[in-house]
This record gives sequence, structure tokens and C-alpha cells, in this order.
Amino acid sequence: MTRSPALRFLLVLGLLTGAALLLPLVANRGIVFLAGVVAINVVLGLAFNLLFSTAGLLSFGQATFSAAGAYAVALLLLRVPEIPFLVALGAAAATGAAIATAIGLVALRRTEGVYFAVLTLAFAELVHVVIAKTSFFGRNDGLTGIPRPRIGPIDLADGQAYYVFVILVTALLIACLWWVTHSRLGRSFRAIRLDPMRAAFLGIDVRRRRLEAFAVSGACAAAAGGLMGPLTSIVSPDLAHWGESTKPILFTLLGGAGHFWGPLVGAVVFSGVEYATRSLAGASDLITGGLLLAVVLAIPGGLLGLAALVVRRLRRRERPATVTDAAAEGARP
Amino acid sequence: MVADLPTLLFNALVWGMATFLVAAGLTMIFGILHVLNFSHGGFFMIGAYVAHSLTNWSAAMANIWGFLAASVLAGAVIGIVGLVVDRAVFRRLAHVDGAYVLVATYALLLVCNGFVKLVWGLNVVSASPPPELFEVSFLGNLVLPHYSIFVVVAGVVVFLALEWLINMTSVGRLIQAIAIDPWMARLLGVNVGLIYSATVVIGFALAGLAGGLLVANQSLSPDLAGIFIIQAFGVVIVGGMGSIRGAFLAAILLGLVDSFGTALLPQMPGVLFFVALAAILLIRPRGLIASGRLS
Repeated sequence: MTRSPALRFLLVLGLLTGAALLLPLVANRGIVFLAGVVAINVVLGLAFNLLFSTAGLLSFGQATFSAAGAYAVALLLLRVPEIPFLVALGAAAATGAAIATAIGLVALRRTEGVYFAVLTLAFAELVHVVIAKTSFFGRNDGLTGIPRPRIGPIDLADGQAYYVFVILVTALLIACLWWVTHSRLGRSFRAIRLDPMRAAFLGIDVRRRRLEAFAVSGACAAAAGGLMGPLTSIVSPDLAHWGESTKPILFTLLGGAGHFWGPLVGAVVFSGVEYATRSLAGASDLITGGLLLAVVLAIPGGLLGLAALVVRRLRRRERPATVTDAAAEGARP
Repeated sequence: MVADLPTLLFNALVWGMATFLVAAGLTMIFGILHVLNFSHGGFFMIGAYVAHSLTNWSAAMANIWGFLAASVLAGAVIGIVGLVVDRAVFRRLAHVDGAYVLVATYALLLVCNGFVKLVWGLNVVSASPPPELFEVSFLGNLVLPHYSIFVVVAGVVVFLALEWLINMTSVGRLIQAIAIDPWMARLLGVNVGLIYSATVVIGFALAGLAGGLLVANQSLSPDLAGIFIIQAFGVVIVGGMGSIRGAFLAAILLGLVDSFGTALLPQMPGVLFFVALAAILLIRPRGLIASGRLS
């Protein structure tokens, strides 16, 4: 096992990306489509966790950013078909960052727990109503017939080409989020989470840093959301509904908020459970709700927290003298 | 067409009282347990379904007394469910981070949704008020559906009943004492756990009762929980978390915002509600009545 966190991260990311890229060889089209959606959800979860575990902000409006990205890409592809797709994705990220900055400027005046959560929820519902009622955004029907674009000579409409593209872009976004989390900026986010007053005394501009965290999270979520439209060929106001904002939170807590990969584990497990129970109307809600409740009540560290606990117990049994640092860096106390 | 002023005021009152009925139990549970209960909307919805099934069960229930009895029974059923939820979930959340509490109650909401889908199915069921409330009165230009008047009266009655319970009874005073300082209350020999349970049962019973009373206000579908819970959250937070009087005032205030907002911006109903919610939170972050205790 390598010691450097960056190398270890790249190793894990490489293995996961490789596994995701090999999936079409063994699975049917339905599963591969689902894997694309899960990959996007993983980024949404990680972007949420950057706010939640690193910067200490509970945002209940993450759907705003993913929906903004999805609509930005959909509108650009429908209205300006000649635009290069990567430029459209960049525009989506910029839209997400801009909206996050605008909301953050207002909402970050109140960062105490529930108030910030409800403010972000209120803004998210505001955006939801505006999208659902404006004909520019296709009202309740959303925008349909979003094409799969070309990138240079590659036509992403061919077979699994778009899936491969989604996996590569999400891997890039995950790398960005990891880099931010472990950079100087990420360390100042953590300092603010642990003690805002002390951080301010040390010369950290607390509000500015929080705004930056919000903007980075919004940009990543919007870029990931932008991948959604060409995948499903439709974007609808449901993407901005508050129910969508709760998903990244579920993934994060289910997987383990104190671990960088927590939201990934949560998104994969959650989607697996949802897929396994898809034909049972009602039972799927009962099972996902019950599962989530069990996790929060029994293993608040999430699945990765549980795994770390088990590993620590086993190691302690082998070598009773060693103190392990299984509590990964950035873990919530 | 812009509706006339009396109609707008009446609509505001109906919206406000309907939302207050849902928000009352929510703010009470928050005042004591400091749990912002997402699942409140879910139990409200189950209360509505239970009351609907009861009134459809026999023809003798198809009048206003049957309707009221079904609502009270729904409240009692949900109150008992509250006892179970308190034991199984809320007790265990006492020392958990606020974000996890919010997610736990959201998980409960999912469980409620699943339960409703399994028992009552996915279809939209329309519920109509009892015949006595089906009529409409006119006051000049003002159209007053009897059911809307009933909702307003029910909201005011529930508010007055809660005011009496909290301020005039010994249980109410104990609840207030615990809202202010549970540690000291325990030192003085108050059975804090019992009062916690009682509060949860009352809060849940209010959710069930609200479901029964408002059952004819909308069609029944598994989406019902989400529609009301956001409005109720707004009312609870604007009113000041844990304050019943605050929730009552906030319900009327936000009702006015919603009613006038719909008249001014008919193409975007609900937008002004969220704008007002954000604005009030920024100006008075702790809500209209920020006493930090149940009042």
C-alpha cells in the first residue's frame, strides 16, 4: 500500500474508472445506462460533501446547480447546435458557479445549521417554480429531444460512446474535487468548519472562503448535471425539485460523510437497492427509507465508517501495540 | 383578472389556517425535541388517508359529525404511531448531529410514502367534503365555500386549544419548563422523558387531525406529503422555531403573501412565498417570535 495520499487516490480512481469502462462488456444496455446516471450522482454527492464535511455547510438546494447545468447544456445543444460540447459543459459549470455565488451571497449570511439549510431549500424551490413556469425552459414538460453531440471526429451517439465520455468526465470532476479538498483552499475550508472564529483570527476571510466552497461545489454539480441531458435526451423541472436535493445528502450519509469516497459508496449502494426493488411499487420507498434510517441510527459513520471500524478492530487484534490512523484525513469528529 | 380585496384576504386566511393546522405539531415537536421533522408531512398524509377510509366505510359517517369523528380518530391513530416513532427513532437521535436528524426524519418520510403506496395504491383519490360543507354562501361579491370557512374555524379552534394547553394546564407548564431548560427540569424532579413522549404524541396527533380535517381540500395521492411540508417548514421557521403563536402569525402573513402573490404574478404561483421566506429569514433570522421557548 502506497503512503502518498495523492498516489493512493489516483490508484483508486484509476481502478474505479477502469471497472466502469469495462462494464459495457459484461452488462446489458439498461445497466450501462444506469451506471452513467450513478456516475453523475457520484459527482453530485461528492460536490455536496465538499460543502458538508469539508466546509461544514448543510446545503438543501444542490438540485438547483445540477438542474442549472442540465438546462444550460440542453438549451445550448438545442439552440446553438454547432457549439462544441466541451464548451457547452464549461458554460454549464460557469452557470452553476454564478448561481451558487448569487445564492451564496445571500444565504451565507446565515450559516447556523437549520437556517442555512432552509434558505438554500427556499432558493432551490424558487428556481424550481421559475423553471416549471417559464416557456423558455419548456414549462412543466421540460426540454425534449436533446441530441448526443459530436466531439471532433467522434460521434457520441454511437453505441456506448456517450457512456465512456460520461465516465471520463466524471472521473475528471472527481479528481478536481479531490484536489480542492486536499489543497490549501480545502485546508482553510476545514479550519473554518472546525472553528470559524479561530480561523478568522488566523487571517482567513471566512465568508469569502465559504462562498468559494459554495461556488466550487455548484460548478462541479452543474458540470455533472450537464451530462444528464444528452444521456436521457430530456431535462424536466423535476431535476430542480427539492427531492433531488436530498439525494446527494442520502448518498453522503449512507456511504460515510467523513470519507472522501463515502458519497460514491452511498450512490452505488443506494442505486443498487433502488434497482433491486424497482418493480415493487411502494416497497422500494419502504426499503430505501428503512435502510437509511437503519444507517443513521445504527452506524452514523456510514458504510465506510463501519468498514473502517471493522478494519481497526481486526488490526488491533493482530498488533495490539500499534495505533492506526484509520480515521482518514478530514474525518468528522 | 385581479380578484377583489375581500376575496384575496379570505384566500389568505384559508391558506394560512390550512398550513397552520399542519405546522402546529411540527413547531411543537421542534420546540421540545429540536427535531425538524420531515416525516410530519408523511404522517399528515397517512392521517388524511385514514380519515378518508373511515368516512367511506359507512354511510352513517357521510355528514359533518362523521367527518369530524373520522378526523379525531385519524389524530388518535397517528398519535399512537407517534409513541412508537418516539421510542424507536427520536429517542435514539438525542445525541446525533442535526444534519443526521434531518436525514433520519426524511427517511421516515420515505417509509410513510412507501406505506401509503402499498396500502392505498398509487392512484389519485378525490375526497369531497360532507354535504353540509358542500354549499357556498355569498357576501356581496365574496364567495365563501362552507368548507373553506370550516378550515378557518378549525385552524382558530386548534390554535386556541393549544394556547390553553400550553399556558393554562400543568402539563403545558411542564412542557414550557422543559423547552427552556430540560436539565434543570430534570433536577427538579420532572419526568422529562414522559413529557418528551407526550409532546411527540400531541404533535403527531395534530398531524393526523390536520390530515383528516384537510382531506377534502385536495386530492389524495402519495405526493401529498411533499406539497404541505415545505409550506409548513416556511411557517414554522418564519414564526420562530417552537413558537405556536409565531406559527399562527406567520401562517396568516405567508397566507397574505401567497394570496397577493398569486394575484400579482398569476403565471408564477408560489414564487413570492419563497422570496418572502428568504427575506424574512435574512431580516429576522430567528423568526417573528424568537423567545427560544414554547409559547
